[in-house]
Amino acid sequence: MIQTNKQIANYKNISEDFERMEHVEPERVHIALNPPRCKDCETYVEVGDTVAIGQTLGVSQGPFFKLPVYSTVSGTVEAFTKKVMPGGEEDDVVVIKNDFKDTMHESVGERSDEEINAMSQQEIVDIVGDKALTGLGGAAFPTHIKMGTDKPIDVVIVNGVECEPYLNSDYVLMQERPEDMFKGLRYAMQAVSAPRGVVAVKETKKKLLAMLKEEAAKHSDLDISVVEVEDFYPQGWEIATFKSVTGIDVPVGTLPMEYGILGLNSSTIIGVYDALKYNMPVIDRYVTINGDAIKQPTMFKTRIGASTKHLLDKSGGFKEDAGDVNIVMGGPMMGQSTPYEDITITQTTASLLALRDENPVEEPCVRCGSCVYSCPVDIQPVQIMNAYKKGDKKALEQLEVNKCIECGICSYVCTSKIHLTDYMRKGKNFLR
Amino acid sequence: MNLVQKTAPYLRKPTARVSRFMGDVSVALLPLVVFAIYRHGLSAVWILLAAVLSMVLTEYVYNQIIDMLNGEKFKLKNKSFTISNMSIVTSGLIYGLTLSDVIPLQVVIIGGVVGTFLAKLIFGGLGQNIFNPAAFARVFVALSFGGAIAYEAYVDADAGATVLGVLANDLFDSSVTEYYSYWTMFSGIGMPGSLGETSALLIIVGGLYLFLRKSFDIFVPLTVIGTVALLSGTIALFHEDLGLWFPYTMVFSGGIMYAAVFMATDPITIPITRPGRVYFAFGVGALTLLIRIFGQLPEGVVFAIVFMNMFTPAIDYPKWTTNKFTLRSILIFAAIVIVTAAIATAGVHYAL
Ligand code: SF4
Ligand code: SF4
Repeated sequence: MIQTNKQIANYKNISEDFERMEHVEPERVHIALNPPRCKDCETYVEVGDTVAIGQTLGVSQGPFFKLPVYSTVSGTVEAFTKKVMPGGEEDDVVVIKNDFKDTMHESVGERSDEEINAMSQQEIVDIVGDKALTGLGGAAFPTHIKMGTDKPIDVVIVNGVECEPYLNSDYVLMQERPEDMFKGLRYAMQAVSAPRGVVAVKETKKKLLAMLKEEAAKHSDLDISVVEVEDFYPQGWEIATFKSVTGIDVPVGTLPMEYGILGLNSSTIIGVYDALKYNMPVIDRYVTINGDAIKQPTMFKTRIGASTKHLLDKSGGFKEDAGDVNIVMGGPMMGQSTPYEDITITQTTASLLALRDENPVEEPCVRCGSCVYSCPVDIQPVQIMNAYKKGDKKALEQLEVNKCIECGICSYVCTSKIHLTDYMRKGKNFLR
Repeated sequence: MNLVQKTAPYLRKPTARVSRFMGDVSVALLPLVVFAIYRHGLSAVWILLAAVLSMVLTEYVYNQIIDMLNGEKFKLKNKSFTISNMSIVTSGLIYGLTLSDVIPLQVVIIGGVVGTFLAKLIFGGLGQNIFNPAAFARVFVALSFGGAIAYEAYVDADAGATVLGVLANDLFDSSVTEYYSYWTMFSGIGMPGSLGETSALLIIVGGLYLFLRKSFDIFVPLTVIGTVALLSGTIALFHEDLGLWFPYTMVFSGGIMYAAVFMATDPITIPITRPGRVYFAFGVGALTLLIRIFGQLPEGVVFAIVFMNMFTPAIDYPKWTTNKFTLRSILIFAAIVIVTAAIATAGVHYAL
């Protein structure tokens, strides 16, 4: 096929609507002490201590900032050990046994609207940073750094476009808490003095859109609107969403803030609300357990630090005839494949997919051009592959392999089933 | 059950398959095959069989020899040779349909063998070749056995001279339209010419099929045909002896439609980006017309394709090709189109 591919076909018939929604309170949680980008952690608790929800367990020191680590359940500290993280690496964790009492720490408490309305950018940024909020869409970039920008911001864009096929966690959260999302958006606009706020959602999500528009109407004192964006992959990619909403083409590698745009994921913005209104860190998470190798695909709400194994068991486990199974943390296009079933759920864990392994047979490239036509950053995957095979550094640079966002489309569309995205990664490494 | 670890993405588009892609071209050619057999009977069957088999067998034998040279044992089923992706069968059909119905079978076979070997195999097989094997084989036949298939050879009672045969004697001879009505030229019914090239109607049907199946890039045939129409139209506009019949005849004769739909679209031998493909197709259209007018070679279009194939790597040169039409590239391209049209028009005016 020679065409510009913008849709990912659901050929595995993976359900995207969930009748089954379960609330799972874990027996114990494993809280990672070294969240991404921070490597040294100072802990404040010892084995045997009693902790409450929202209590600081330690502070993780990064190169430019520090992020506190919070307890997501109330109970007792059981141990310090190591546990597998979604990226596949092991990390230090603190294990807390849940007493199921959900005692709140004394730092958690409601702020009045007047108090919040009077806050300066710095005060807001400090609270958000103190609650260790990071981008919940996947990039895990600290939110307070984005919100602390000194660039003039014209528009705050809430990215409600789930980046990948088969993922729904963000939609479920938006449906559950639309009010809080808009309030969070108001806070973010207040922080960066933005005159305009936009919530971007795929045009195909009719029910959600109707609900959000109704909600947006209650904020008519500010310029807040809901924008329907075209349903294509990778629309959830920040830069594609920004382009759809504002028409501005933010070059890959530059900060959107330079172009007057502050983009925050929809779950993150609800986190902003919780942090400011209740001084509460993010403690729970919607996690989709899905895929064609899963018996009963289910949407779970659970605590951060719970184990995926627990949720897998609750979804009935793998189908008996599944054959080789590929476990993917994240989406089918950009997620991380791991050989483990027992993984710690973090702030950014939106899903676990168990896919039947396909093992496609590669054929010689027929130069159909689909990969070139479809690449969202307009580079030429097939030429990059050839340059990489030849070991031609100069050509790799000319072909701008570093622009690649590893969206996976080139591998997906390839007529000859060549794993081009892998060549892109190799090409990038080669240039390093 | 085992857990496996892979790298993203984990999905592969089910409809993206080499066999579907190549097979579709064969399907699109079927109406032409049927038409050829209906018109020429058994001789068409033999010629097409000879074309396909000579190409398939050459590829098979070549792979066997290479494997044996690499010290492997002889097996009837060769591991490197595959017919299932339809690529070589399709090339054979495309080649066979460009031939005239009176061509001797041994010429068909020699052309098929040489074309497959020189244009495809020595470059390393599928995906590596620079020249379109079908076009190359056809050019080889024209150059080596020109006499055997000369168009004059079949000015016979019921067929008459081909359009290009007439125009080769006198470009401005509007009497071609008296021999052949517009409908005859379009439908191919009663038109002399090679096996598959005469019926524009069936070619368009095949092209539509490929378009709907997304198995070729419609920009390529549209550009080739558009270029021929535009250039010949401009020439006609500035020449008192020529009328609307001229661009019409140019487009619907001599295999341009056929080559535009089935040969210039072969992705392996044309540039990889969409702008690159448009430039390539323009080159094919312009060269064909120039060869026809000034060179009087009836097979102009296959020469043009093989010639443009050589420029594919240059058009693909990463420094100046991206998959985007920029304002600058459009302006440069437009300038080239205008200059070409001017040269062709002036050439016809002064040289002929
Ligand atoms: S993975 Fe990279 S090269 Fe491939 S389509 Fe996506 S951005 Fe383009
Ligand atoms: S790498 Fe795949 S998609 Fe790209 S041109 Fe080759 S066959 Fe087509």
